[in-house]
Amino acid sequence: MTVSDDPRSPRSSRVSLLSDLTDLARLRTVVADVGDLAITDGDRSLTHAAFTEAVARSAGTLVAAGIGPGERVAVHLHKGVASFVAVHAVLRAGGVMVPLDPLAPPAHANRVLQDAGATVVITDTAASKLGALLGGTRAEVALVTGRARAVLDEPPSEVPVRVVDWDAGADGELLPAPVVRDPDDPAYMIYTSGSTGRPKGIVHTHRSGLAYASSAAAAYELGPDDRLVNIASLHFDQSTFELYAAPLVGASVVVVPDAVLRFPASIAALVAETGATVWYSVPYVLRQLTARGALDRHDLSSLRWVLFGGENYPPSELAALMRLLPGARFSNVYGPAEVNQCTFHHLDDPPPDDALVPIGRPWAGTDVVVVDEELAPVEAGAPGELLVRTPTMMSGYWDRPDLTAAGIVTLPGDPDAGRWYRTGDLVVDDDAGRLVFLGRIDHQVKVRGQRVELEAVEAALLDVEGIHECGVVATGEGGDVELIAVVVADEDLDEVTVRRSIARRLPAAAVPAEVRRVASIPHTSSGKVDRTAIMDQMKAGEDRL
Amino acid sequence: MSRMSSEELGTRLIAYIEGDVALEDDPIDLDTDLLLSGLVDSMGVIMVVNWMSDELGIAIDAVDVVLENFQSVRDMVSYAQRRDAVAAD
Repeated sequence: MTVSDDPRSPRSSRVSLLSDLTDLARLRTVVADVGDLAITDGDRSLTHAAFTEAVARSAGTLVAAGIGPGERVAVHLHKGVASFVAVHAVLRAGGVMVPLDPLAPPAHANRVLQDAGATVVITDTAASKLGALLGGTRAEVALVTGRARAVLDEPPSEVPVRVVDWDAGADGELLPAPVVRDPDDPAYMIYTSGSTGRPKGIVHTHRSGLAYASSAAAAYELGPDDRLVNIASLHFDQSTFELYAAPLVGASVVVVPDAVLRFPASIAALVAETGATVWYSVPYVLRQLTARGALDRHDLSSLRWVLFGGENYPPSELAALMRLLPGARFSNVYGPAEVNQCTFHHLDDPPPDDALVPIGRPWAGTDVVVVDEELAPVEAGAPGELLVRTPTMMSGYWDRPDLTAAGIVTLPGDPDAGRWYRTGDLVVDDDAGRLVFLGRIDHQVKVRGQRVELEAVEAALLDVEGIHECGVVATGEGGDVELIAVVVADEDLDEVTVRRSIARRLPAAAVPAEVRRVASIPHTSSGKVDRTAIMDQMKAGEDRL
Repeated sequence: MSRMSSEELGTRLIAYIEGDVALEDDPIDLDTDLLLSGLVDSMGVIMVVNWMSDELGIAIDAVDVVLENFQSVRDMVSYAQRRDAVAAD
């Protein structure tokens, strides 16, 4: 069902008419003034009317290129107005949107493409990298823009894809109505690193995506006057806030382009110029903004709400930022990509130095339970694994029934046989009824808010020529987590070579900050890498490569 | 002590970025867009800023560490020229 254009229809009932994400982009023109700003990246800006039209034309290009309902379409674009248009065009054309990290090595994106079985790729990558990106995948059509347009003159010989000019869609045919999808059909997939190095795709349906957008819009009181800062890349689930919650209420989005993101002072300038009102990012970016954003010379008083999540925020640094932005409300938000978001904690005052900021309480419509290893609820105040039941939950992992069965469970003796997601996160309910994050029950760590599986980094290291054995540990706490690799390696291997080899295979967060040479790698009695022993070894000190 | 020439700064910056900062081993030149790909990440920017401070003996103001001044080696050299930290061409 599509959105009613009837201006007499009350706003809330129009929103409730949406049953999928396919017509979400056009909702902007219904709930807000068509001439208002929909999106800007500092370079290019579109009104609600122009954004909606751009989405409809790009969707027309996709349908003309032959995509059918349910086909996976990869969006491999640097962040900007164009990437937001592309995402909504894929949804409108009935495709399943698979965002790829444009800054990750082509080999990493290639593995995701293969796993998703994507048949269409929208890319602005350097033409020289197209072969590495698409080789061995099921991609039939490459829609090229930006630097990738160089292949329009000289199609790549190494990969048998049809090349289509994505920019030509700007003058192309409109797709007048969205391709109808069932609410339980997949809408988008977020890929995360699996522990074996094989990436796993988190499948969100139109229903779960829309449920998240509605919950977020309600929880943070979003409206047409809001301007949401987009920091997260499309492949990182935090971006679903700006992608889907903003159009639902006709809020506008200020996209911080990838290049600008490396410069806190440039981010601060963009926020000040655009009068942005709501910010959501990992603490790492806010800490950089505080330290190097020249906040004494940029006026960020337009920000009314600052959301952060993905890792612990060192309390003293959070307190410092809260004092710099006294007019903003601050909230710690929590939720693995599998459930979008599920808990929040609003801070009324700067936190004390010595206590972790809680992840808080579940938001409306969401249930949580803290359980032991047998999935039985723990006693009040005891730590345990957090389980979540929510309409914003994924339908499962793409093509991985084994992982889905392990991740989504029913509880023993539960009469509703509800589906609960096992977060793998250790939490404790503090005495005020708020959850506090304590750590992981496995070897997943967060580096600058990005998930990294230590086993996946080890697997990549073992593929580097000259490395015979290795172990990876995470050091530091909160926002200062760094990976340190210890290796048994050939004499002539140097650290830069190792880091570059890993950077060619894995996202930047997975590249070890240091590589140290050891005589041997300690193992536990069961034959696994003994990370505790490695940490002890490191305190004794070894040589860096 | 005589100041470094802008040409020398460019050559040394390229060598430093290629050798210690870049996450790919492709060669770079004065006009390579260092930020469009994953060549230089946010850590890399900090490394370059620190290196320039040390080599040129100038304090680089946070408000100057912006995209326009660090997108390419040529941008970095012209920033140094504006700061009068290297000889003009």
